[in-house]
Amino acid sequence: MTFVADHDVPIPYMQRTRDYYLKLGYDNPYRWAYFTDAPFTPMARPLAETRLALITTAAPYQPGVGDQGPGARYNAAAKFYTVYSDSTDSVPDLRISHVGYDRKHTTAEDPNTWFPLARLHEAVKAGRLGALTPRFHGSPTNRSHRVTTETDAPELLRRCREDAADAVLLVPS
Amino acid sequence: MSLVARHLEANGLPTVIMGCARDIVEHCGVPRFLFSDFPLGNSAGRPFDVESQRLTLELALRVLESAPAARTTVQSPLRWREDASWKLDFSNLDRLTPEEIAEKRREFDAVKEVIKTKPGRS
Repeated sequence: MTFVADHDVPIPYMQRTRDYYLKLGYDNPYRWAYFTDAPFTPMARPLAETRLALITTAAPYQPGVGDQGPGARYNAAAKFYTVYSDSTDSVPDLRISHVGYDRKHTTAEDPNTWFPLARLHEAVKAGRLGALTPRFHGSPTNRSHRVTTETDAPELLRRCREDAADAVLLVPS
Repeated sequence: MSLVARHLEANGLPTVIMGCARDIVEHCGVPRFLFSDFPLGNSAGRPFDVESQRLTLELALRVLESAPAARTTVQSPLRWREDASWKLDFSNLDRLTPEEIAEKRREFDAVKEVIKTKPGRS
């Protein structure tokens, strides 16, 4: 019996990142959120009757803050710091230059790899999914657990409720 | 994103995350997670491969509708490519020259300066 290579496992990002910054000379490692429990809410109705909200970490394109295109270097100036919403009937110009995606092995040329709005519309059309909420929402990526928990998450909940969402798909980029 | 999913779920909204960083999402603990073993940036499927994007969404929807309990992770059967050597590259200083490492340090310091200018953020 032949097994696959030892390195062919999901990348241990936390360890890799800790080692990386330590070697760069920063000895105050980031602490990832950690819980032993997790909440659970059962689905209230079948998917074909469910109204789904989409939450993304992608950023709306901002003119004047540097290269945000495919393959752009990490662009902290392109970050956003408050929750935003836009119509799910639009084709929004979203970018991911503000996050640490794998710049060596992917190019960010096809937004459908981090923002599945077109595929979601197909699922609604096929009857697999009941509907999409009229808006999708953008969740800031600012590495502050406090801001995420106390400000951004409650605001996202408020907007999902305002749109009468039954369930939520979250897609980090 | 995991913290947001937990908050929504705790307040009565079922959630599912599509993602590529298995350890980080599972460390936090989320209700439902569709994991794709792809480079970061491809949570929703491969570039210019509509079939892989459809399958990825379909798997996430199945996880949403059928997870028996919290912390359900399903791994997509799709592979980025047969050769898994791409997994060795991400944030791996052993694979960089001293010049590249110095450049990374300059880049990180510059990023910190940009973020410092935003009030109340870290």
